[in-house]
Amino acid sequence: MARICVIGAGFAGHTAALYLGDKLGRDHQVTVINRSPDFVYIPSLVWVGIGRMDINKTLFDLEKVYRRRNVTFIAGRATEVHADDQHVVVEPAAEGSQPVQVDYDYLLIATGPKLDFEATPGLGPAAGHSWSICTPPHAVDARNNYLEAVARMEKGERQRIVIGTGHGGATCQGAALEYITNVHKDLVRRNVRTKCDLAYLSNEPELGDFGIRGLAVQHRGRRRTAEDFIGAVFRDYEIKPLVGRGVTEVAAGVAGWQDMEGNSGETKFDYAMLIPRFLGQPLKFLGAEGQDVSEKIVNPAGFVSVDGIYGLDYETLAGNPDAWPAVYQNPNYRNIFAAGIAFAPPGPISRPHVNPNGVPMTPAPPRTGMVSGIIGRIVALNIIDLVQHGRMTHSERMTEMAAACIASMGDSLWDGSAAVIMVYPVVPDNRRYPNEEGRDPFVTHMEMGLAGAWMKRMIHTTFMHKLQGRIGWKIIPE
Amino acid sequence: MEITDRDKFWMNNKLFQFFRFIVLNLKILKAVDHSKRS
Repeated sequence: MARICVIGAGFAGHTAALYLGDKLGRDHQVTVINRSPDFVYIPSLVWVGIGRMDINKTLFDLEKVYRRRNVTFIAGRATEVHADDQHVVVEPAAEGSQPVQVDYDYLLIATGPKLDFEATPGLGPAAGHSWSICTPPHAVDARNNYLEAVARMEKGERQRIVIGTGHGGATCQGAALEYITNVHKDLVRRNVRTKCDLAYLSNEPELGDFGIRGLAVQHRGRRRTAEDFIGAVFRDYEIKPLVGRGVTEVAAGVAGWQDMEGNSGETKFDYAMLIPRFLGQPLKFLGAEGQDVSEKIVNPAGFVSVDGIYGLDYETLAGNPDAWPAVYQNPNYRNIFAAGIAFAPPGPISRPHVNPNGVPMTPAPPRTGMVSGIIGRIVALNIIDLVQHGRMTHSERMTEMAAACIASMGDSLWDGSAAVIMVYPVVPDNRRYPNEEGRDPFVTHMEMGLAGAWMKRMIHTTFMHKLQGRIGWKIIPE
Repeated sequence: MEITDRDKFWMNNKLFQFFRFIVLNLKILKAVDHSKRS
């Protein structure tokens, strides 16, 4: 009997657990460790953050789903991975519980990010100057503070709202874009939009970069970039773009930043939602003698090293699509895999930039949503292969992967909108697509309209269905 | 590029958007099919 342990039950870990439970749950031991007893559908937290969706609609009980698939679930925090002895130490969430040891033959690390608010002094809900929509409690706090700002507008006070990224190396610009456009629509709906100045503060080198070096599509016979699309939306919504800025410090009502040329500046606000830099979760990796073996498993940022080629300069990496990992397997401990944000990408997709003062301004590659789910499935299918046949047969690099992203720009099914973005491949591959973008122009697509708002709502419903392992879950793509 | 009143009309025209909804779903399925999925 094989023992498989999955740490983390986000998009990557939970998708993997569904496949593993489905194929191996009856005859083998599959264990999932997650801090929260609930799955969180993070893409809809943008709606929670403006009070347009109840937080409970983004959650479901994981244990109920796993019980049907013969998967053991432990709500708790994994603290140590004993890589040579092949076990994980877990501190259960229940008060007064003793640490639990979970033995494994195969380990999947899919922990999601540690939200590194500390990298920017004053950033985040703990410091109390800015808010975040990255977790359910954060989204609820953000909503409460946003609604207070709305109440001030309703009393006639003018408010400044700043939304974006809170560090030069942050990712998830798409979430910030969704949040600011939803805030705009919400303020219009409440008849207070004229009382608010909206600013988008981002580390992207240009609007629409999204950490994937942007995209370009043919639109009415002309080449249009994501920057053209998003810029047009911002002008229409009267949102001030402040891109190419890495936030260096946040104080009460003011975000200090540096731009790509090294100039310093500040943006004042009454309410700010700024996404922090992501790091890997701080797990201890120990060897047979209790020695630290972290160097063999994770990079300095805490992301798990896998089968990519690391250490290449940007130009070399951009010209070598095979440098991106294919099976997400650690080269030193071949029974350890990583998926989603937890795996270390071999480098950035967007062109890296360090300003003259040494402040890095490089959006990190996004590994959330569809990308996470696909990688979770690939790893699960390979572990199933290894258990059943002793060799892996599945692989998918981000240079071979298509992804769709639907960026909500107003949730209403009557007059809402969303940008529907499809990219193939996620990481440009100029060998296969020797055009300016390195992507397939017949698949890569971007358009905006009410249909996108319908799709966003449809995807929320179908994903909540799929992720609860309900009938037909496997035919719904990740 | 600017979003004109004509663009806004088509972006919120229910019949046209229903057509785009079908097309976009097919495009996503095509993108998934293009993806390696091995």
